[in-house]
Amino acid sequence: MADAKSIIAARAGRELRDGQIINLGIGLPTLIANYVPEGVDVVIQTENGAIGVGPAPEEGCEDRDRANAGNQPITLVPGGSYFDSATSFAMIRGGHVDATFLGTLQVDEKGNIANWIVPGKMLAGMGGAMDLVTGAKVVYIVSEHCSKDGASKLMRQCTFPLTGAEEADVIITERALFRRHPDRGWVLEEVAAGYSLEDIGACTDMAYQVADDVRLDAFGD
Amino acid sequence: MPKNKVVPIEEAMSHVESGMSIAVGGFIGQGDPLTLIDHLKTMDVRDLTIYENDGGYRHRGTVELALQGKIRKIVASHVGTTPDYARLMNEGKIEVEATPQGTLAEMLRCGGAGLGGFLTPTGVGTVAEEGKQVIELDGRKYILVPAVKCDIAIVRAHAGDTWGNLIYRGTSRNFNVPAAMNARFTIAEVENLYTLGELDPNAIHTSGIFVDAVVRANVEYCTLREETFNG
Repeated sequence: MADAKSIIAARAGRELRDGQIINLGIGLPTLIANYVPEGVDVVIQTENGAIGVGPAPEEGCEDRDRANAGNQPITLVPGGSYFDSATSFAMIRGGHVDATFLGTLQVDEKGNIANWIVPGKMLAGMGGAMDLVTGAKVVYIVSEHCSKDGASKLMRQCTFPLTGAEEADVIITERALFRRHPDRGWVLEEVAAGYSLEDIGACTDMAYQVADDVRLDAFGD
Repeated sequence: MPKNKVVPIEEAMSHVESGMSIAVGGFIGQGDPLTLIDHLKTMDVRDLTIYENDGGYRHRGTVELALQGKIRKIVASHVGTTPDYARLMNEGKIEVEATPQGTLAEMLRCGGAGLGGFLTPTGVGTVAEEGKQVIELDGRKYILVPAVKCDIAIVRAHAGDTWGNLIYRGTSRNFNVPAAMNARFTIAEVENLYTLGELDPNAIHTSGIFVDAVVRANVEYCTLREETFNG
């Protein structure tokens, strides 16, 4: 069986639709670029100032002026372009980005996201995350289901400072997929191979409904 | 004929004084004005306030000035790529004000564009709205963010002419554009210096109107020397 991160990235990749403009956060979300389905073309925006991000350059062809927001070397596909940071966030806040995929520390019943600071720990900062969760049309949380100490990251209420209030739309973990509906709140749509409905209930603190057509063994095998 | 703004680095940087605010271009090493930062390391200035996306990359960037005790405060979207900044903050030696990246870029742009501030939906319902006014327009909440106007800006460009028209390369454009237009006195280090008329007027990213002094970038920080602008 694949590791949790690959399972999450692979399932997230199946969400992509032809022609979408997407922004991938640093870390796990970057892996989603490896799981774009055949026949689907997405355009990747990186908030430090490029759109049309292509595959990583071959070794020896890296260029210090061509990198993503995580400082990894990039290439551009034909039609790609560069821009400044004010323009980049006009794209993001202005609703021109279809979907953003971000990791998280916590996400809760109301769709609140907390992913930028652990109180008492060294501050890193929110980077572009607050703008992305506010401006992107669909906000995907792609994260392991539980933190390293085994606690559910899917909480009744976030306890860390928020990145965005009521902004999460979809949660994809290595165990399940939830979608948030305006009237019903979070709905469990898919359970990954190796887990039962009861397993998901046991490791999920936030309230959710189970879809009538919930799919078991939906991904991850 | 537009004025020649090319000056020795000592002359350009003599405008920097203790207590000033400085807008810094670049993004975790991409387009960071390292030549000017290196010069600041040799100067006797203190209590600087820095407006920059980040603190640099690992041990390079304004983080070096922070370690020298020259910086009182940095307003940045994150300092995660320079752990020393976070450490200095935790030791109480420096103030770090975390600001959403798009908000910081727009604070700089607005300050340069003569605007008093702007309304952003980013950060509503988070700590980003602390101490700020929240305004509702057409049913949506926005934070009123005042613009910032810095005393000095330091930026790096791939190419520039003697009047300070600038062209950036690749993702090194980033915060260099809003920083360059922001400040009362903007200093640009350029990797490749051209005479007037050599740069394509259609390709200029920062007009020389925003630039007050032009210096040559240190050769070792240049990504590409004397090439055509194909990327």
